[in-house]
Amino acid sequence: MLIIGFLLVGLLLIVLQTTVFMLTPTWSVAPDFYYVLVAYLAYRVDLVRGLVILLPLSCVLDVFSGTIIGMYPAICFSCYFLLKFISVKLPVRESLYHVPLIAVSYLVVYRIVFLVLDFFQPDTLISWSWPIMLLRAGLVMLFAFPLFRFFEFLSSHSRGRLSSLKILRSRSGNQFR
Amino acid sequence: MRKKSSRQRGSRSRPFRLALISGVLLTVGLILLVFVFGHQEVGPMHKLLFETVGPLQKMISRTTGSFHSLQKDYLGLLSVRDEKEHLWKELQECRAAAYKNREAMATNARLRKLLEFKESSGVPTVAARIIGKDPSLWFRSVVIDRGSSNGIVKGMPVVTGDGIVGQVYSSSPHYAKVLLSIAPSSALDVLLQKSRVRGILKGTGKNIYRLEYILKTVEVSEGDHVVTAGYGGLFPTGLPVGVITKVKKQHRGMFLEIEVTPAVDFETLEDLLVIEQEKPVVE
Repeated sequence: MLIIGFLLVGLLLIVLQTTVFMLTPTWSVAPDFYYVLVAYLAYRVDLVRGLVILLPLSCVLDVFSGTIIGMYPAICFSCYFLLKFISVKLPVRESLYHVPLIAVSYLVVYRIVFLVLDFFQPDTLISWSWPIMLLRAGLVMLFAFPLFRFFEFLSSHSRGRLSSLKILRSRSGNQFR
Repeated sequence: MRKKSSRQRGSRSRPFRLALISGVLLTVGLILLVFVFGHQEVGPMHKLLFETVGPLQKMISRTTGSFHSLQKDYLGLLSVRDEKEHLWKELQECRAAAYKNREAMATNARLRKLLEFKESSGVPTVAARIIGKDPSLWFRSVVIDRGSSNGIVKGMPVVTGDGIVGQVYSSSPHYAKVLLSIAPSSALDVLLQKSRVRGILKGTGKNIYRLEYILKTVEVSEGDHVVTAGYGGLFPTGLPVGVITKVKKQHRGMFLEIEVTPAVDFETLEDLLVIEQEKPVVE
């Protein structure tokens, strides 16, 4: 339930990002909703479920964008494992501190991926621009809080449903004892 | 005794009453006669009455007049709210209709341009619409609502009525991804329309192309038109690509640094034409 719910929400966010929030083909200030979802999965969802959700979503992003296959899975998994590692090692568990970390990880992961791609496939990428990247990181930070709230709601809702289903099952099993 | 005296008083007053009534009737009759057959001139008494009663009349009529207008205004005010709501609704409807009309006119102009191109070029084309845009910062591509079931395959050129847009990068049965010509990974064989000199047009990711491999010895000036060369059979020859906006001659190197403004406005891209080719270039 949780996996299907997050997959559907992820798909919806990708569709929104590629249609409503991309006003023109050269629009630079579209928020990367998918990145917030990746961060949420890293912080709040267990490893197996997180990876199961992440893999198809990153493949969808690859289909919608660019000419280098595998770029988005690389970004998504780098971000996922980086934030997972930080969330485990970080002494502060307060979710308020997670939001700036998402923006920092966004810049770090994108910079590394850009350098790698530029090294292996030069002249295929638009040149790196710090002002635009900072703006995009800011947008990710801006949308992180409301989206996290929404993901929390979705997660608790699907877990609640699951637990109520479990209760129903256990009752039906016990009634003849 | 008493009855007798009252009878005597009544018989005395009767001629007096008779005289009074006849006097009144006569006076009224005379007044009527004067009114009907007289000179009809207003006398001093008349004037005096006019002057005395006139201001009073004026005051009262003004007061009642202002009262009437106040009443009218108040009643009018009561109906204004309804009328305002009605007019506001009507205004909104008119605005929506005007917006729709403008939109229809813009679409009409755009489609007319595409149709003109389709008719003038004589090549088989498939009309498509952009349904999605590349969300990444490093690439420039769009998703269109036509795919291999409409005859679209990888490598087919994509144009609008203004000029070239790009080429199909990948396709599924109903959708296709188009790599825009302004993408850094895009390179096109082009000609300078005036001098017929050949060069390679590269995308920069922005609304500008970079024209490469034009020798310094070639006469190139701002405003020169750039068209497709047609070599390799990818794009038909002579399709508009853009206009030269900057020419820079460096001391070092053999080639000029030339900037070309695209003929197509990539900011307002919506409807496209995919040129169908029998054997599109796959790689």
